[in-house]
Amino acid sequence: MTLLDVQNVTVNFGGIVALNGLSFSIEEGHICGLIGPNGAGKTTMFNVVSRIYQPTSGSVLYRGTELLSVPAHGIARLGIARTFQNLALFPTMSLLENVMVGAHSQGRIGFGRAISRIGAAADNRRTRDFAGDLLTQLGLGALAFRPAAGLPFGTLKRLEIARALASRPNLLLMDEPAAGLPHGEVDELGLTIQGIRDQFQLTVLLVEHHMSMVMSISDRVVAMEFGRKIADGTPAEVQADEAVIESYLGSPT
Amino acid sequence: MSARIIIKSGGRASWAIRAAAAAAVVALLLWIPTRGSDSLIDTCTTAAMLMAAAMSLNLLLGYTGQISLGHSAFFGIGVYTTAIAVTRWGWSPFVTLPVAFAVAFVVGLLVSLPALRIKGVYLALVTLALGLVFPAFIKWPKIEWLTNGSRGLDQTGFKFSKDNPTYELFGWNPWGNLRGQNVKPFYFWVGVLMVVFVYLVCRGVVKSRVGRSLVAIRDNSTAAAVMGVNLAVTKGIVFGLSAAMCALPGSLSAIRTGTVTPDSALLTVAGSITFLVIMVVGGSGSLWGPVMGAIVYQFIIERTGDWSDPDKIPGAVRPLFSWSDVAPGGGIFAMALILLMFFAPFGIVGLWHKLVAKVVTVVPKPAGTTSLVREETAPAES
Repeated sequence: MTLLDVQNVTVNFGGIVALNGLSFSIEEGHICGLIGPNGAGKTTMFNVVSRIYQPTSGSVLYRGTELLSVPAHGIARLGIARTFQNLALFPTMSLLENVMVGAHSQGRIGFGRAISRIGAAADNRRTRDFAGDLLTQLGLGALAFRPAAGLPFGTLKRLEIARALASRPNLLLMDEPAAGLPHGEVDELGLTIQGIRDQFQLTVLLVEHHMSMVMSISDRVVAMEFGRKIADGTPAEVQADEAVIESYLGSPT
Repeated sequence: MSARIIIKSGGRASWAIRAAAAAAVVALLLWIPTRGSDSLIDTCTTAAMLMAAAMSLNLLLGYTGQISLGHSAFFGIGVYTTAIAVTRWGWSPFVTLPVAFAVAFVVGLLVSLPALRIKGVYLALVTLALGLVFPAFIKWPKIEWLTNGSRGLDQTGFKFSKDNPTYELFGWNPWGNLRGQNVKPFYFWVGVLMVVFVYLVCRGVVKSRVGRSLVAIRDNSTAAAVMGVNLAVTKGIVFGLSAAMCALPGSLSAIRTGTVTPDSALLTVAGSITFLVIMVVGGSGSLWGPVMGAIVYQFIIERTGDWSDPDKIPGAVRPLFSWSDVAPGGGIFAMALILLMFFAPFGIVGLWHKLVAKVVTVVPKPAGTTSLVREETAPAES
């Protein structure tokens, strides 16, 4: 079943065409790799799906719902979560609180109930335990009460994954999760991604430059260049594609 | 390593400390109006007004990161809502409090509309304009029939009747005399009640899902939106709530002093700056920061109020201040602000936490249902 269907999406920034009639779709339960050289429009694609950018034209269907008519804050509730390429954490909060904010779309305590304290303490306890468990699962339990500022980049990337999982998503968009990791840990991260996909029954859209990892864990790969799709298929098909080799992978000589 | 005190959050020791602190606060609150001098009671009542105003600003700026230099206008809305309702329509003064709250909430909501689009310095300018316009608006000739222009309004206070009961407790009377001879303790308690109300509202908001979303907006509003925080609605309500809570001390000051004028200090932009400085000195983004800031501010102002006369300055510091014929309270506070920004950017409360952390380790309650977190967060040394 198709979970996300991107149809003919075009994004213009002034005169620059960041996405040019991009179309692809993701099957439920798949890990879909999105590859391409820098500036190909991968992050722009993420920002369209999370409603940070408004495309000039096109349509994005999620389970048949038009995402482009959903406000940015409504995306999480639909079951779409993301991580950011250059970290977008809450630096003054502890790791635990960061993940608790990630669960925002799961809660229902508004201003009225917060001030009157009706159910607020119970909600705090529940969210806190849930966030603590998630951190433990991603190997960050020991750092739960540390402030997010000042920790190593790789740790914070992991925290972004934990925070994204806190919204109990169906679709997880990961923007270069392996960036900044030492080589040995990249394969481990690949296993982690497959692990959380299976455990949380996720569909994953993955932007990544580590080709070995993308090709080994993806069920399907979409290659982009200059805002357009140049190839789409299984990892093996895409790796053999002339256009992809030419523009991105380079010939294996 | 020196011996450290380890306290488990939510444990017996932490509750004992809390209970002791609460008892100390209650004892102090009872001591001031019964044993304190008249001027001490007055100082504390004024400090209570500043506390509530600074707390309301703290919710907006300290927690949500939305700057406002227009809080003097919200304070003024409280002042004038009460003054107009009492003098023009003959309302009972304390009935005007919820009305002032509601009026300021609506105005705050309207002011939040530009805040949805702009940030930082630009928001500071928009709200500064509000602060500047407010006194001029009150003096606008077309509404002079209502506000009495720059002459202000009289008789806005609460009228004590000679027939009021005295409410003694076994011959002991902490509220003062409600028949009008000794009303300072009465206003002190009204001020305390207001601060408790504003504190509980702020605390309720901060320690909840919405409170976390406010800090998220401050830290990274794009990420907050991706987590599902509705930026427009949240900012709007925080603006409204902050404005409404700032109107309460305004109302009370109109009731307490009995006269209002559009040029009194807290109604002009100087008032906004005062609230801001109190909040920062006390500790922005902490619940007790504005409380500490207001106490320190008001005591410095009162203590140094007569230092314009060199003979009144205590000997030790006389050479520092005797050259000027202006009371140096504001200047001293400004110096304190500069020093604090240098040594304790999170204000008095931040400094306190830093000092306490040198001797006491607070172990947070374990988060999560697995035992893993519990073991790993236990401190390495004991």
